[in-house]
Amino acid sequence: MTRAATIAFGLALWWIATPALAQDTERGRELYDRWCAECHGTDGAGEGSAAAYMMPRPRDFTTGLYQIRTTANGELPTDADLVRVIEDGMPGTAMPGWESKFSDDEVRDLVAYIKDFSDFFELFGAPEPLEFGDRPGADAEALAEGRRLYEQIECWKCHGDRGRGDGPSAPTLQDDLDFPIRAADLSENWNFNGGGRVQDIYRRLRTGMDGTPMPSFSDLIDSGFMTDEQMWYLAAYVRSLSPPERPRVRDVIAARRVEGRVPAAADDSAWNAVPPYYVPLVGQIIEQPRWFAPGVDGLYIRALHDGATLALRVTWHDPSQSPDPDWLEWQGWVAETVQPAPEAEPTALLPDRLVVQFPTAIPTGRERPYFLMGDSRRPVYLWEWSSDAGAHEAWASGLGTRAPLDGGDLSAAAEWEAGAWTVVFQRPLAAADTATTLSFRSGVAIPIAFFAWDGSNGESGAQMAVSSWYSIYLEEPTPKTVYVSPVLAMLVTAGLGVLVVWRAQRREVEGSSQQ
Amino acid sequence: MTHVNRLRDYLRHPFWLAIALLVAAYIVFEFGVAYLPPLFGVRSAPIPDSVLLQYLITAAVGILIYVSDNEERWKRFKEPVGTLLVDPGLRWLRTALLVLVPLAVGWLTYSQVRPGVAAPVQLRSIHPAPPTSISFRGRTIRLTGLENPLRADGSIEEDYEVGKRVYYGNCLPCHGDLLDGNGHYAHGFNPPPLAFTDNGTIPQLTESFVFWRIAKGGPGLPTEGTPWNSAMPAWEPILTEDEIWAVTIFLYEQTGWTPRTWEHEGEAGAEGGHD
Amino acid sequence: MMNRERCLTTFLAFACALIVAAGCGGGGEAGGEEGAMEEEAGGVATAMDAKAATVDTATAATVSGTVSFTGTEPEAEAIDMSEEPNCAARYDMPKTTEEVVVGEGGGLANVFVYVKDGLSGMTFSVPSEGVVLDQAGCWYRPRVFGIQVGQDLVIKNSDGLLHNINAKAEQNRGFNISQPVEMETTRQFGVPEVMVRFECDVHGWMYAYVGVLEHPYYSVTGNDGSFSLDTLPPGTYTIEAWHERYGAQTQQVTVGANESAEVTFTFGDASA
Repeated sequence: MTRAATIAFGLALWWIATPALAQDTERGRELYDRWCAECHGTDGAGEGSAAAYMMPRPRDFTTGLYQIRTTANGELPTDADLVRVIEDGMPGTAMPGWESKFSDDEVRDLVAYIKDFSDFFELFGAPEPLEFGDRPGADAEALAEGRRLYEQIECWKCHGDRGRGDGPSAPTLQDDLDFPIRAADLSENWNFNGGGRVQDIYRRLRTGMDGTPMPSFSDLIDSGFMTDEQMWYLAAYVRSLSPPERPRVRDVIAARRVEGRVPAAADDSAWNAVPPYYVPLVGQIIEQPRWFAPGVDGLYIRALHDGATLALRVTWHDPSQSPDPDWLEWQGWVAETVQPAPEAEPTALLPDRLVVQFPTAIPTGRERPYFLMGDSRRPVYLWEWSSDAGAHEAWASGLGTRAPLDGGDLSAAAEWEAGAWTVVFQRPLAAADTATTLSFRSGVAIPIAFFAWDGSNGESGAQMAVSSWYSIYLEEPTPKTVYVSPVLAMLVTAGLGVLVVWRAQRREVEGSSQQ
Repeated sequence: MTHVNRLRDYLRHPFWLAIALLVAAYIVFEFGVAYLPPLFGVRSAPIPDSVLLQYLITAAVGILIYVSDNEERWKRFKEPVGTLLVDPGLRWLRTALLVLVPLAVGWLTYSQVRPGVAAPVQLRSIHPAPPTSISFRGRTIRLTGLENPLRADGSIEEDYEVGKRVYYGNCLPCHGDLLDGNGHYAHGFNPPPLAFTDNGTIPQLTESFVFWRIAKGGPGLPTEGTPWNSAMPAWEPILTEDEIWAVTIFLYEQTGWTPRTWEHEGEAGAEGGHD
Repeated sequence: MMNRERCLTTFLAFACALIVAAGCGGGGEAGGEEGAMEEEAGGVATAMDAKAATVDTATAATVSGTVSFTGTEPEAEAIDMSEEPNCAARYDMPKTTEEVVVGEGGGLANVFVYVKDGLSGMTFSVPSEGVVLDQAGCWYRPRVFGIQVGQDLVIKNSDGLLHNINAKAEQNRGFNISQPVEMETTRQFGVPEVMVRFECDVHGWMYAYVGVLEHPYYSVTGNDGSFSLDTLPPGTYTIEAWHERYGAQTQQVTVGANESAEVTFTFGDASA
């Protein structure tokens, strides 16, 4: 074959083979435009129509910067990295997992198309994933070593001493597009963008999270400052800051009955007698002005009563003890970033607030007031607490209609420590004024809902975090009469049984004697 | 072989057949319903315990009717029971049952009457009866027989794009990118947001029904029924009529479902009338 | 199935590329730039050394001048370093932002002046000595500096407390590394870019800028606003002066053999 023929043959083959490659991105484009573009933008710049309603914002694909990788810091992600994020989604963000929607081929086409948004992929070719060592076992000693490293390499500067995202540097953190970004709350591993397992945390430490303030710590191993094993210990320690499992959401909060008086202090050991009930909160996106960047994402509730008083201990993570001047800049910044901007002036420091909502009376049927502060037909009764004005009772018949109630016997003690508020409410079970105020009764499920505001996050008014209705159930001491009916039922059953057997046997005897 | 024969003999006996049928029914209700359809790609969920009990009672009644239907069968059915009551060789079993059954009854009663922590049952119907007409921003819209006006004129592609914008600006946090009711805020709501991907939802509805649910939301649900406790807001103050129709188109286009049409309903009704 | 298809495609593409390359007798221009990008920066340096231009010092020219400031100097804001007492203690007076530093003679400091255009076709050897960016007293030193493509950037933490160095680049791959103790880390840049910004996310007030160039003709003005670009080959150049607040200005200048040319830039309220 002559050289010219060879070239011609090669070119022909090339020409045949090329459309197969091109097709990938074309199909990827169709999928992208249909399912991804509204957030990530048709041009991939992360500025789709829904982007302004999200914090953190959707990824800008044009920069080629990706948080969740297995490659070294500053490197591009591998195809497998992109596939993983598309299929599994990113917890703690608006990015869902698409595994149930897209086939493997479709995900591959999407990856091909997404890579097209940045020239870097073409310039650099396929990146090499980092070598990750095997995970060593982590005993108490290893966790202690992890804690020591956490202090020594100053993870707490952003993430805070207890990992609640309340470090001194947290209020100034920004991402690569200059949007505000929160230091991850390390005690909620179910919200970790790259996954909450020890190996996920280890990888984030090694690779960093490009485009965010989270740097890579690989140089510490390369420079001999720490070993790979120690990095694993650090990851195990960070994992240990969260509960073993994501807290399960239960419909009913049980208020256990205690002997003597209910505790008034947050650190009273009596609280340990009851498990915490987790209530997730989300942004109020129903009535205007809506709120897409809630600072509080969940509450831990413990409840006790002593037959005369109900005590409710509510704990939630909030990196700022508002009003806190250190967070003023953040307040305005969030306002600029998330739409619609908060109604309050970002120059005014806002307090943190919590509202516990009940119906005004225990419902007789199944009907409950509208969960968002009730309506004119069925108003609600509120326990309000704010970091600048303490606690008082209030009443509302719809969002924005709240009116404080005079007098009342509600008291509250609050403390903020290491990125968490704890508020202990106390109120006598019997209401002073039953027209506006709920009287608590044991032995029935009473509707309860929660609202929270993080002042430093610019939240006030309708811009808050909300829960839907749950129930609180004040346990009763088991009355002796409870045992009467089971005993009665046993006696009757046994008697009937004996009777049946006796009659059958008598008939049998009569039958045989007749024969 | 002998085992098989003996088993067959047992099953010929109405009493053991009845027991076997009841056990089979339990297995189907408890496990079959939940795990068999997914093998064929159909989504399913376990039957709640209370419903399971109802099904089992129904099955038991059916079996009883069958065995008592024929005098001979009924007699044979009762035989093992009679034997149990009188046979001297079965005295120990008899005594054990006389002790165990009352104990079990006692325990069941106790578990019923002891003070327990339980949420009141919150029933929910996905498809409440729609009104024949609603007032939308002061204008009366007759829902019965109403089709999506956007389908009559204009391009579906454009309406889809408008609807998409509306969906992503308003519905996304709860109903999700995949329209599976699993948006990033969905975990905060109980009852959970509706999954449009579910074949029991929008494919069973006319577009006018969907329009009504979007326009009036949870607060607009009929009061005569059970309280719905829906967190779905009324979108009437926020979205225009065209925007609601457009997002309706988006819901069907994006999920691939087709809405029920009134012609279809009319035919069904006409047929019913003729028969 | 799809994998096989892809393998086949890749193989064919590769085979064709080989054939074409063989056929053309090593023409391959298109891959040149990309190839250089992919290589380790060190490799780039050696490759350049081989054909690096040597400027004849006997005919070399100089472009020098000053950057002056007009208008009212913006008031420097004091930085609150209270969250980092070790750093705060190093300063008698609270450190100020130093965004605009004007010398006594009216010169504007921290302006990056460099040859933007006029050297195309020439390549220059990469200095073996690295450029040091030190973090001392929770401050980047220097604040504005230049570096050549492929030259070592030695990032140094003299504070012994946590800094992260978040390099925000557009043409280059950025990076974000942590230095929680006294240590040094070396990085390089692969392509020219004016400027790459460094930020420390731990200390929101810390930032620095580096101009990455393929040649050594850059200078950063001191407090007197003066700069000098020496040992230039005679020619016509576009000189750009870049300031973090006031942006960039360019001027054309022509210098003959052994000539010196003066260029003056003026920044201030009017130019902003």
